[in-house]
Amino acid sequence: MILKRNTSPTALYVHIPFCAKKCCYCDFNSIVSNQKMIDQYLDGIDKELRMLKSRFLFHTVYIGGGTPSLLSENQLEKLLDSICRSVLASEIKEYTVEANPGSLTMNKIGLFKESLVNRISLGVQSFQDKQLQFLGRIHSGNDARNTFHLLRDAGFKNINIDLIFGCPNQSPDDWKRDLEIAVELNPEHISTYALTYEEGTALTRDLKSRVVRKLDEYIELAMYKTSINYLRLNGYNHYEISNFAKTGYECLHNCIYWKNAEYIGVGVGAYSFVNGVRTSNEKDVFVYMSKVDENKNTTSFREQLTPGQYASETIIMSLRLRQGISNTDFYERFGYKIEDQFGDTIRKLTKDGLIHYDERLTLTEKGLFVADTVMTEFL
Amino acid sequence: MPTERIRNFCIIAHIDHGKSTLADRLLEKTDTITSREFRNQMLDDMDLERERGITIKASAVALKTVKDGKEYTLNLIDTPGHVDFNYEVSRSLGACEGALLLVDASQGVEAQTVANTYLAMEHNLTIIPVISKIDLPQSRPHDVLTEMEKTLGTAPEETLMVSAKTGQGIAEILDAVIERIPPPKGDPNVPLKALIFDSVYDEYRGVIIYLRIFDGSLKVGDEIYMIKTGRSFKVEEVGVFKPKMVVKECLATGEVGYCIANIKSIHNVKVGDTVTHKKNRTAEALPGYRQPIPMVYCGIYPANNADFHVLREALERLSLNDSSFTFEPETSQALGFGFRCGFLGLLHMEIIQERLERESNINIVQTAPNVTYEIVKTNNEVIRVDNPEKVPPLHEIEEFREPIVRASFVLPSEYVGTIMQFAEGRRGRYKSTEYLSERRAILTYELPLSEIIFDFFDKMKSATRGYGTLDYDLIGYESADLVKLDILVSGKRVDALSTIVHRKDTEIKGRKLVKKLKSEISRHLFEVVLQAAVGSKIIARETIRPIAKNVTAKCYGGDITRKRKLLEKQKEGKKRMKSIGNVEIPQKAFLSVLSVDE
Ligand SMILES: Nc1nc2c(ncn2[C@@H]2O[C@H](COP(=O)(O)OP(=O)(O)OP(=O)(O)O)[C@@H](O)[C@H]2O)c(=O)[nH]1
Ligand SMILES: [Mg+2]
Repeated sequence: MILKRNTSPTALYVHIPFCAKKCCYCDFNSIVSNQKMIDQYLDGIDKELRMLKSRFLFHTVYIGGGTPSLLSENQLEKLLDSICRSVLASEIKEYTVEANPGSLTMNKIGLFKESLVNRISLGVQSFQDKQLQFLGRIHSGNDARNTFHLLRDAGFKNINIDLIFGCPNQSPDDWKRDLEIAVELNPEHISTYALTYEEGTALTRDLKSRVVRKLDEYIELAMYKTSINYLRLNGYNHYEISNFAKTGYECLHNCIYWKNAEYIGVGVGAYSFVNGVRTSNEKDVFVYMSKVDENKNTTSFREQLTPGQYASETIIMSLRLRQGISNTDFYERFGYKIEDQFGDTIRKLTKDGLIHYDERLTLTEKGLFVADTVMTEFL
Repeated sequence: MPTERIRNFCIIAHIDHGKSTLADRLLEKTDTITSREFRNQMLDDMDLERERGITIKASAVALKTVKDGKEYTLNLIDTPGHVDFNYEVSRSLGACEGALLLVDASQGVEAQTVANTYLAMEHNLTIIPVISKIDLPQSRPHDVLTEMEKTLGTAPEETLMVSAKTGQGIAEILDAVIERIPPPKGDPNVPLKALIFDSVYDEYRGVIIYLRIFDGSLKVGDEIYMIKTGRSFKVEEVGVFKPKMVVKECLATGEVGYCIANIKSIHNVKVGDTVTHKKNRTAEALPGYRQPIPMVYCGIYPANNADFHVLREALERLSLNDSSFTFEPETSQALGFGFRCGFLGLLHMEIIQERLERESNINIVQTAPNVTYEIVKTNNEVIRVDNPEKVPPLHEIEEFREPIVRASFVLPSEYVGTIMQFAEGRRGRYKSTEYLSERRAILTYELPLSEIIFDFFDKMKSATRGYGTLDYDLIGYESADLVKLDILVSGKRVDALSTIVHRKDTEIKGRKLVKKLKSEISRHLFEVVLQAAVGSKIIARETIRPIAKNVTAKCYGGDITRKRKLLEKQKEGKKRMKSIGNVEIPQKAFLSVLSVDE
């Protein structure tokens, strides 16, 4: 089988691992740190970006974390400059920065405005202080609203609000209320994530020692259904398992991941995917910094996907998108049709009402709720 | 070596009383092995034996020693102590004239001490009583001496004291073996008569038979004839165990060794058979061995249906090395083609299953074990049932009979009450109490085999803090109020999950069983209903809720590899399950019946 060479990566991800405080549910690469270290880290990012030597033409940039908005104004300015030097301004279609309510100031927002940033993803999680406290967030519901208005006033026309549902003491009404407030603010994009118990987090320790109890799966499902129905009713397309957007505001950068297309990641623990090879940078921030400092290769993990893995991973990731994957696209990339490899699986899952398969392969609503179970069938 | 300079003996005892460790000291004392080669419990050479710290197979070894200026060959057989491997002991006894009977100085006489002593007496062996582990601070050799005298009839003045740890008393053992055990009686000048007491299969050399020569002698080039199987072979190699195989020119009258004769098919060899010369045959065969009666049966199936033939070969090869388990092909609707296998006990079953998986590299699914029942049908036909599946419909059963054993418990007196309570709760019939000393007693009960064979050992051990021991003999079959308990998975009866239980226990067992199964079967996309039934009557029910929501919330660049690996792992787990209808049942679930009490 011949894998067609994709066009080169068009997405750039930059990881800022620092947080003011680690949230109980978070297993992202993030640490609480001091200013000097952040400065050093930004030097490293700058160096890594320079090494890309404008080999790629990026259409999207995403600064994630951690809490990028935590950086001081000087630090932010430095970071944004480093990035600006590595991209061609005219090619940038979407440039997102993740921000937490409470850590954004007028000046920081101004810096974003001046340096191509055109989308802000706001880590609201909830508008209710009870929930925020449980999650270990340091901002309040009001902070979130205020920050949102600041961004709007500054002229940001593409804002995402992140929300979390399924907390142990959350009622379906609590959740509905969060959705209502979000919709009132009228952002272009809303992400609703079910609370996940990741290994190694404080939350999971509490679960194991029975300090917290998981919310009943059926209630969680009801909440998820509420999000889908309510947001759809208010003009948001449900375009990915956890993501909703007004028409034309789907996140371009994240869609690259879901299409299993190519991307470049910069910073500690960041992943890149180029030409069927996935790599990740050193996961320990100190090791990462010393390696960059000594001009050493920062890669700590590398896997070359086999053609079969590549195809099945592409199907699995694409199934996260409500539009799924088109057979034409699949054929173009892999040189055969989905049914050539997964005929039996497709028949079985179709019979069980979990997928649709014609020109496109998509999950049905029933399949959506048990997407992971469906996906194993495509391995 | 002239016959009068040969001694054949085995070491017998209750489990853990120090047989293999004593054998180590004898190997060292006689310079049979160098200190470089030595490792503890040298004769326990199977991985499983070393991992579990117990002897499973009897092993033979030839020792050379000099006494009063004369060289002697001492053929030692180390035997296992666990009751499940009793057949190994009785086979070894048949190759010996004497036995070292060990009793741990800190434990005293225990159930298998008594049982093995009787076995040795039945074989008319000279018994050398030995008290072992006298170095232990908690040892009480004098009490033990009295206990032995009282229960085993051994003479205190003839009893030796040893420590295999310090080496104290080892020389005296060698002396006693030479002085007290008679040399083999055989006649070197009559036709060959040799007993096959064990055998193994070697991939390159075929079957290797382990022999004790009773009359005549055996050398390379001889044409041998096996009386029972009626087969002839030409001898390629003979030798002795030191403990590795060492080639010799000839095995003389009275000796113990091995013989290789290009025997490719394992069907040509039967343990217990008599070997003689083809041309010059012995007049009569040796009595051989009585095939032991399996105490428990279970189904063994290949996890992958395609491996049926691999499994058959593996079982055949293993049965050559362990003739005490039986196997016959059977089919199960749920599991496909497999075998019904009989074992001497649960440990035996566990060991065979592990040896199968290790020695033949095959994954197997095992069903819950059961004992053998007898059923008298309404048409007066009597059938033997070694698989719950074979129980006829209720209306065809006139009488249901189960095996009964006489069980003797040897234990410290303070636990007598506990064990009595225990035995009563399991339908036991009290027979007698005998005191070995003020502190130790033998308690005898008649009990249904099914009540003691599964979890009784462990329960008794913990109830007596490890001091209680148990031995049992099958005494017959008795009528009982038994029924077959079926399990239905989503309305379909799963034959491999049926069990036979006493009617009074059906409800409790049924309820526990479906609950246990519920914990072992993972959730599906649909509801799975588990039911326990007797005939058409449902007595317990559990449902496994369907998966409502199973979807990863976040999946971005860095998560993709992790996510794929997670899904791959889930898929791998599914491969090892048996699919019944649409329901995936893990291998472990078929053994649920065993541990419903937890
Ligand atoms: N202190 C002391 N410990 C001993 C002595 N002999 C054996 N042991 C220990 O007792 C345990 C059992 O010894 P084994 O020689 O394996 O007993 P066994 O009778 O061969 O056991 P099975 O073959 O399983 O019936 C081991 O931990 C030995 O180290 C001894 O003379 N003194
Ligand atoms: Mg041993």
